[in-house]
Amino acid sequence: MIEDTLYMMLIIGLIVSFAILGMFVWGAKTGQFDDDEKMMGGLLFDGEDDLNEAINREKKKESLNNEKKEQKKSKPQK
Amino acid sequence: MSKIKCNHCHLEFDDSVMIKEESLNFCCKGCQGVYHLLKDQNLDSFYDKLGNKSIQPPIEVSSDLNKFDTESFEKNYVHIDNNGYKHIDLIIEGIHCAACIWLNEKVLYDTDGIMEATINFTNNKAKIAWDSDKIALSQIIEKIRSIGYNAYAYNSQVADEKASKAKRDYFIRMMVAVFATMNIMMLSVAKYTGFFTGISNEVKHLIHIGEFILSTPVLLYSGWIFYKGAYFGLKNRILNMDFLVSSGATLTYIYSLFILFGAKGESYFDSVSMIITFVLVGKYLEVIGKKSAVDTLDTIKSQIPLEATLIKDGKRVEVPVEDIKENDIIELQTGDKACVDGYIIKGESSFDESSISGESIPVYKKENDTIFSGTLNQDSLIQYKVTKTYKDSTLNSIVTLLEDSLASKPKIEHKANEISKGFSIGILSLSIMTFIVWYFFGIDLGFDYDGVNHFEKSFIVAVSVIVIACPCALALATPIASLIGISQLAKKGLLFKEAKFIEELARTDKLVVDKTGTITNGKLSVVKAKIIDDNIHKLNLLYSLLDSSSHPISISVKNYLKEKYTELSLKELSEVKTIQAKGMKAVYKNIEGEEFTILGGNQNLIKDFNIDYKFNSQNSVYIFAINGEVLATFELIDEIKEYAKEFVSNSSKNGIEVIMLTGDNENVANQVAKRVGIKSVVAGINPIEKAEYINKLKQEGHTVVMAGDGVNDSVALSSANVGVAMGNGADISIAVSDIVLLNNSLKSLNEAFVISRKTYKFIKQNLSLSLMYNFITIPLAMAGFVMPLIAALSMSLSSLLVVLNSLRIKGK
Repeated sequence: MIEDTLYMMLIIGLIVSFAILGMFVWGAKTGQFDDDEKMMGGLLFDGEDDLNEAINREKKKESLNNEKKEQKKSKPQK
Repeated sequence: MSKIKCNHCHLEFDDSVMIKEESLNFCCKGCQGVYHLLKDQNLDSFYDKLGNKSIQPPIEVSSDLNKFDTESFEKNYVHIDNNGYKHIDLIIEGIHCAACIWLNEKVLYDTDGIMEATINFTNNKAKIAWDSDKIALSQIIEKIRSIGYNAYAYNSQVADEKASKAKRDYFIRMMVAVFATMNIMMLSVAKYTGFFTGISNEVKHLIHIGEFILSTPVLLYSGWIFYKGAYFGLKNRILNMDFLVSSGATLTYIYSLFILFGAKGESYFDSVSMIITFVLVGKYLEVIGKKSAVDTLDTIKSQIPLEATLIKDGKRVEVPVEDIKENDIIELQTGDKACVDGYIIKGESSFDESSISGESIPVYKKENDTIFSGTLNQDSLIQYKVTKTYKDSTLNSIVTLLEDSLASKPKIEHKANEISKGFSIGILSLSIMTFIVWYFFGIDLGFDYDGVNHFEKSFIVAVSVIVIACPCALALATPIASLIGISQLAKKGLLFKEAKFIEELARTDKLVVDKTGTITNGKLSVVKAKIIDDNIHKLNLLYSLLDSSSHPISISVKNYLKEKYTELSLKELSEVKTIQAKGMKAVYKNIEGEEFTILGGNQNLIKDFNIDYKFNSQNSVYIFAINGEVLATFELIDEIKEYAKEFVSNSSKNGIEVIMLTGDNENVANQVAKRVGIKSVVAGINPIEKAEYINKLKQEGHTVVMAGDGVNDSVALSSANVGVAMGNGADISIAVSDIVLLNNSLKSLNEAFVISRKTYKFIKQNLSLSLMYNFITIPLAMAGFVMPLIAALSMSLSSLLVVLNSLRIKGK
C-alpha cells in the first residue's frame, strides 16, 4: 500500500517537475534568459503600467506590420 | 561649501557651481535639458525608477548625424528584412542601470516608425528595427542623444550570433542538469539514510527508478557535448577530459542499469548526474567568458571610424577606410578620430592619445609629427599623409591582437587536460586489468563470486573501480577552496573572473604595472608654486583665466588657488583665446578703461609673446603673466596613489619584482619610479610593445601579472598570465582582464597576492587528500572489497573532508 502511494507520488512529482522544466527550457530557447541583468532588473518594472506598455508595443508592431502588408498589396495595382 | 545633488544625474557638486531653477539644481546645461525633456514627455517616472542611483551627465557629441544616413554607412551596418523594415545593431553608451534601459526603450518605442527597440543590459547592445519611410536613422540617433546617451553602430558579425547561441545552448543544458541533480540528491538522501534505518527492497527499487528517469536526460541531453568532445578528440587521436567524463558517466550509468534490472548491488545514477553537472557548470562559465570577449571587441570596433575625408586632386571625397592607400592625403576636422596612421603635412593641433598612451593630457602635434589611428583631433583642422593602411594601423593591430589573445586564452585548461588524460588512461587500464584478472584468473586465485554469474561479477568489480575513482573529491578539491578564497577576495573589493587565476597569482614572480591610473592617480597636483605678486585683483584675473579652460593643468592650478585663497572672485574677460598646446590669452578692461593682456600657459607661450623669463623644470609648468610681466609660476606632477610605496616594498618582500611600463617619457617615468621605489622602468613604449615585453618575460619562464587601467593596456592585460584592471578603468581593459580591483586600491592588490597564496596552499592540500583517497580505495575496489555502502560513504566522506579543509581558508 505504502509502495503504491510512493509510486504515485513519484510519478506525479516527476510529471510536475518535468512540466516546469519544460516551461523553463521554452523560456530559455525563446531568449528570455539571454540578458541576465535585465531579467533581474526587470523584476522592478513589472507594474500595471509596464505591462500595459508591453501590450501596446505588441499592438504597435502588429499595426505597423499590417500597414506594411497593405502597402505591399497596393503596390502591384498601381 | 555644501554639496548639492543634481536633479537629473544625482551626482553631488558644490552649491556654487550649480545651475539654479526655482527648487531645482542642475550640474550642467545637458542635465537641465534632459530633465525638462523627460518632464515634458511625461517620462519623469524615470527618476522614481532610478531611485538613489546616480548616472553620467549627458554626453556632449559633435554633430555628425549626417553620416548615419549615408550610403556607405547603410551598406556596412543596416540590413533590410522581408517586410522592408531596416535593422541595425547599436551599442548604447552611458547606460548604468535598469532605469536607463527602461528610458531608452520607452523613448524609442514611443517614436513613430520604430517597430522594435530592445536593449541588452549586460552588454548595452541594442537591436532596432524601423520603417525608413517614416523616420531616418539619424533621427533615431538624435532621439537617443537628446535624452543624454550616445549610440555607436557595430557590425553584428557571425561571431556574436554564434557566441550568443552557444551561451544559450549551454545554459539550457546546464539548467536541465542542475535541476535533475538537485532532485536526484533528494532521492539519494532518502536512500543513504535507509542504509542506517533500514529500507525495503521495493522502496529502494522505487528510488532507483526515480533516479534513472532523472539522470537519463542529464547523461543523454546535458552530457551530449562531452560525447561530441570525446568523439572529436578520438578523431584527432587525443584522449581528452571529455573522454574521461563521458566514459566514466556512461559506464557508471550502464552499471546502474544492471542493478536496476535485477543485479545485486547499489546503483550510482546520482554520481552520473553529479559528474556531468559539475563539469558542465565549469564549461558554461568558459562560454560566458567567450561571449563577453566578443561583446568587448564589438565595442572597440564600433569606435573606429568607417570613413575618412580624402583630398584627391584638390577635392574632398569621403572614402571607406579600407580603400585608403599609403601616401593618400587625409583631412581631419576638430573632433574627428584618425582612422589610419600617418604624419602631418599641414596644420597643427592637440591630439587626445589616451586610447594609445593612456595619458590624459593632450599631445601637441605639428608638421611632420606622427598621427596614430584611434587618436582624437581636439582643436583644429589638419591634413596628414598616410603611412600605413587601415589593416596595419595601430588601432586595428590592437583589435587583431586582442582577437588572437582572447581566442588562445585557456592555457591552464590545457594543463588540466594533460593531467586528466593521464588520469583517465590510468583508471581505464586499471579497470580493464581488473576485469581480465577477475574473469580469466579469478577462480584460480580463489576470488569470492558471491554466487553471482562469473561475467557479471567481473564486470561489476571492474566498473566499481571507475565508480570509486569518480573524481568527486578530486573535482571538488580546487573549486571549493577557490570559491572560499574568491569570496574572501570579494570582501576586499577584488573581483576574480575565474577561480583559476588564484593559482596563477600565487605563483607570480613578475608584476608589471602601468604608470597613470595604477601607480599614480592620473591627476595633476601643484607641487611648487611661486607667486611673485599676490595682489588679489591680479589673482582674480588668473583665477578667471583658469576658469575658462577645461585643460587638466588649468583645473589643477585653479583648485590649488581655490584652496589657498578663499576670497577669489571671477572677473569678466574678453577675447579669450586658446593657443594650441601652449595655453590661453585673454583681455581684461577695468572700470577706468585700462586694458590688460593676460597670458597663462607653458614656456612656449611665454617665448611666443617675447617675454624674457627663464624657467627650467622637468615637470608640467603653468606660467601666468599680465602685460608681459610674469606674476606666478606653478609646477605640477602626477599624484602618487595612496599605499603605492608600501605595495612595492611588500611585493619585493614576497619575491615579486615590480616593473613599470609606460608610454610617458623617461624623465617623468623615472621620477615616479623613484618616488615609489620601483627599480625597473621601461618608458616611451606603445601598447603593442608592452604586450611584447610581457610575452618575452613569459617566454623566459616567469609568471607575469599585469596591472593597468586604460585602453592602451588592454593588449598587455590580455597577454599576461593574469590581467588586473582598475575598477575605474576603461571598459575594454576591464573586459579583457582577469581580476578587477573594484576600489582601485593597491592595498587590495596586495591582499590579492596574500589570499591567493593561502588559497593555493589549501588547494594543494585538498588535491593530496583526494589523491590519497583514490590511492587507498582503488586497490580495495580492484580486489572486490568495496561494499556498496562503504563506497557511498567513503565518496561522501572524501568530499566532506575537502570541503571542511577548504573552510579553514576563512579562519586564519
